[in-house]
Amino acid sequence: MEAENIIEMLHITKEFPGIVANDDITLQLRKGEIHALLGENGAGKSTLMSVLFGLYQPEAGVIKKNGQVVKVNNPNDATALGIGMVHQHFKLIDVFTVLDNIILGAETTKMGFLQKKEARKKVEALSERYGLKVDLDAKVEDITVGMQQRVEILKMLYRDNEILIFDEPTAVLTPQEIEELMATMKEFAKEGKSILFISHKLNEIMEVSDRVTVLRKGKYIGTVETKDTDKQSLSNMMVGRPVQLEVVKDPAKPGDTVLHVEHFSVPSKTHKRDSVHDVSFDVRSGEIVCIAGIDGNGQTEFIHGLTGLEKGQGTINLCGQDISHATIRQRGTHMSHIPEDRHKHGLVLDFTLEQNMVLQRFREPRFQHLGFIRQGEVRTYAETLIKKFDVRSGQGPVTIARSMSGGNQQKAIIARELDREKELIVAVQPTRGLDVGAIEYIHSQLVAQRDQGKAVLLVSLELDEVMSLSDRILVMYEGEIVGELDPKTTTVQELGLYMAGAKRMTKAGERA
Amino acid sequence: MKQKGPTLLSKDGTKSVLAALLSILIGLLVGGVIIVITGLATPTLGISGVWDGIRLVLLGIFSTGRDAAGALTFGFNSTNLGNMLFRATPLILTGLSVAVAYKTGLFNIGAPGQYLMGTAASLMLALGIPTETVPAALVWVIAFLGGILAGTLWGCIPGLVKAFLNINEVLACIMTNWIAANLVTWMFDGSNFRNLVENTKSGYIYKTTYNGVATAKLGLDKIFPGSQVNGGIIIAIVIAILMYILMSKTTLGYQLKACGANRHAARYAGIADKRNIVLSMAIAGGLSGAGAALYYLSGNTEFFWSTYQTLPATGFNGIPVALLASSHPIGVIFTGCFMSMLDIVGLQLTNLTAYNEYITDVIIATIVYLSAFSLVIKMLISGHGKRKNAAAPAAPAEKKAAAPEEKSASAGEGPQSAKGGNEA
Repeated sequence: MEAENIIEMLHITKEFPGIVANDDITLQLRKGEIHALLGENGAGKSTLMSVLFGLYQPEAGVIKKNGQVVKVNNPNDATALGIGMVHQHFKLIDVFTVLDNIILGAETTKMGFLQKKEARKKVEALSERYGLKVDLDAKVEDITVGMQQRVEILKMLYRDNEILIFDEPTAVLTPQEIEELMATMKEFAKEGKSILFISHKLNEIMEVSDRVTVLRKGKYIGTVETKDTDKQSLSNMMVGRPVQLEVVKDPAKPGDTVLHVEHFSVPSKTHKRDSVHDVSFDVRSGEIVCIAGIDGNGQTEFIHGLTGLEKGQGTINLCGQDISHATIRQRGTHMSHIPEDRHKHGLVLDFTLEQNMVLQRFREPRFQHLGFIRQGEVRTYAETLIKKFDVRSGQGPVTIARSMSGGNQQKAIIARELDREKELIVAVQPTRGLDVGAIEYIHSQLVAQRDQGKAVLLVSLELDEVMSLSDRILVMYEGEIVGELDPKTTTVQELGLYMAGAKRMTKAGERA
Repeated sequence: MKQKGPTLLSKDGTKSVLAALLSILIGLLVGGVIIVITGLATPTLGISGVWDGIRLVLLGIFSTGRDAAGALTFGFNSTNLGNMLFRATPLILTGLSVAVAYKTGLFNIGAPGQYLMGTAASLMLALGIPTETVPAALVWVIAFLGGILAGTLWGCIPGLVKAFLNINEVLACIMTNWIAANLVTWMFDGSNFRNLVENTKSGYIYKTTYNGVATAKLGLDKIFPGSQVNGGIIIAIVIAILMYILMSKTTLGYQLKACGANRHAARYAGIADKRNIVLSMAIAGGLSGAGAALYYLSGNTEFFWSTYQTLPATGFNGIPVALLASSHPIGVIFTGCFMSMLDIVGLQLTNLTAYNEYITDVIIATIVYLSAFSLVIKMLISGHGKRKNAAAPAAPAEKKAAAPEEKSASAGEGPQSAKGGNEA
């Protein structure tokens, strides 16, 4: 006997100029289940959820709650129906306290005055009951991303929502936080709340969900019981072809030293301690060296120091040249950089795709003549890159970068950086938030670059990626390199111990 | 309008022009309402006064006065049109100043200060260099360039402060505005550029014609006889075209826009973000300075030198001029002319009807104010497209904006449908 459907989205069609984002999609959410919504970037998951949440009106199709047709015209309607959503990019006010953020829009008032005490009691009770630890009086800008997410979850609970939408909730979390979130989600489901879980991380979907609905290119592919399926068949459904989940690569053939870092430190902006302290290592051509570590252990600062975005102390030698004091532009002559934050550093979001494609190269004679941009050349070049790297967008080269899906934005950056053909490729979390198809593609590209004799310095937080992609692993803990491991001989457990600071090598490289 | 929707309306330029026209219409409509209300409330005006007022607001630029029977007459009025172009000259340039800065992510509210510094420099040079020894044409060029330079330097200050100390340019601009206002008064106070000959005008500086310096007419006085128009308008249009080329065709414009749109990404790509911020403000300042120079070098304008309590409206009016043009340099030419047309219309209204100058100012200000709403209206027109963008991971602020946007959409429909009724 099928459980009752609490929410049904029947034959939803949503079109945007030039693209059908949702084409006749049906999604049925049962009471008390965790229902995963799986699809590549741009498959229409977010659009579908935005329809459910009242941000968009569908051209066709109906939404039913408990069998009754309902109209969701705006997010307020959704809230009234008990639908809550944790967006991928949190909707919090940075300068408000956690408590203020939670009650915002649903304040308890008496004669126009806020009744914060009652609100506080309710939030504290919820926080205790579900083990969602937050500091109610801290400002949102001061707390970690993981805690911000707990604030978002508490917001939904505070409004007594019974249908919870999580839009790629794990993309920003550390492995430990992901485990906690999974446990919380299971707890919610046990209590009869229904959860829609948008993700493209197959491990998580397999672990936590009861059923999976797969979308591909705006179309409904199917709904399966999680227990009757496996990762491989899910990814095949999602991408539409068999996908290689493991990285295929030959052993590395390292050549000359490309990057030589010696006693490099980056002072912290907020603490007296260095963010990066006395780091020394080499990267040779034809190898992928990965800096592993838990987020916030100095990887970002190190990369900023290396690429020139922040000032560091020590020596950096790139292709035989001392670039310790070089400008960002000078460093760029031998280095390409896939940045960690694609919105902050990677793209000018309000520029078109073609303008973004020449962000570093516009000074080259090929793209300008006497200071005038050669528009035709830029267009041709962008079209070549779009084709070569399969960057999908609404209007090709003239698409505004902001309107592209996250995965295609990342692909655009990768296309730009890899096509610059530099000796050293710095890739910081290049696959963050991407689906298996895109990850497979990016991994194969990085391996191809390595095989062409490029030196690749990868920073990753994903243990799977670290283990499968790298030829050598450097573990960073509290700003220092605490170990150098060979992925072929080490285990995930051992790597984890180094990452957590429980183990470290002496300077001589002995395992202590 | 709906059927043509996706293809025609999806073009950004179409949207901007449409939005500008709509907001002008709304402005005129509300201005008309004020005319009706004040007209009916004023015994000397009455229904016929209201009718005159409305016709003058819409067609004032073609007004040729009243005929023998006392009815308003309309036709080609060379004085009005020429004066419109003359007054548009500085507005186009301060509009460009605001627009160029805005395109590079900066809000140049410092145009009045830059305008004042440009005024002071060009007047001092035009009046100070003896034309007996230096040819007047050369003096004109020196004064013009001096005005630009003064504006440029004055614009640099907020740019430098922003780039190196990360202090908001709006704050710095407001400060530099008042510094300029006092500095200029101090410079002229006690100088021998004050017009003491015509002592009824003791608060004024000599016209540059006193030293034989004036902008060439370039034959425009033949086309618009009886007006103040001169070659300055042509220079302003050329500068606007140059700015358009600079911003959209050159690597410099590309860098400036990149820094404005995302300073971090520009830096990441090796673009000198600090240099470009200073450069943006310098260019903006130079444009305001050029506007001042062209206005005061005309030879038929007098500068009231006691500026320490007021800032020139021309500087501030650059903001609505730029907004109405969606910061497009070519659009600024037209919106600058529109703003100066309103000026002329205001004069006609005061001169030909019993509407006094104060109520005229209220009406004109209302039209200007509502014209500046073109951005909001553009957002409403492109509301559809904007939602699509929100489907991609949108910045937090954007989705929050979605809800209030919807409310204003329904509110905005009022005047629009009213306009439809008007046409029918």
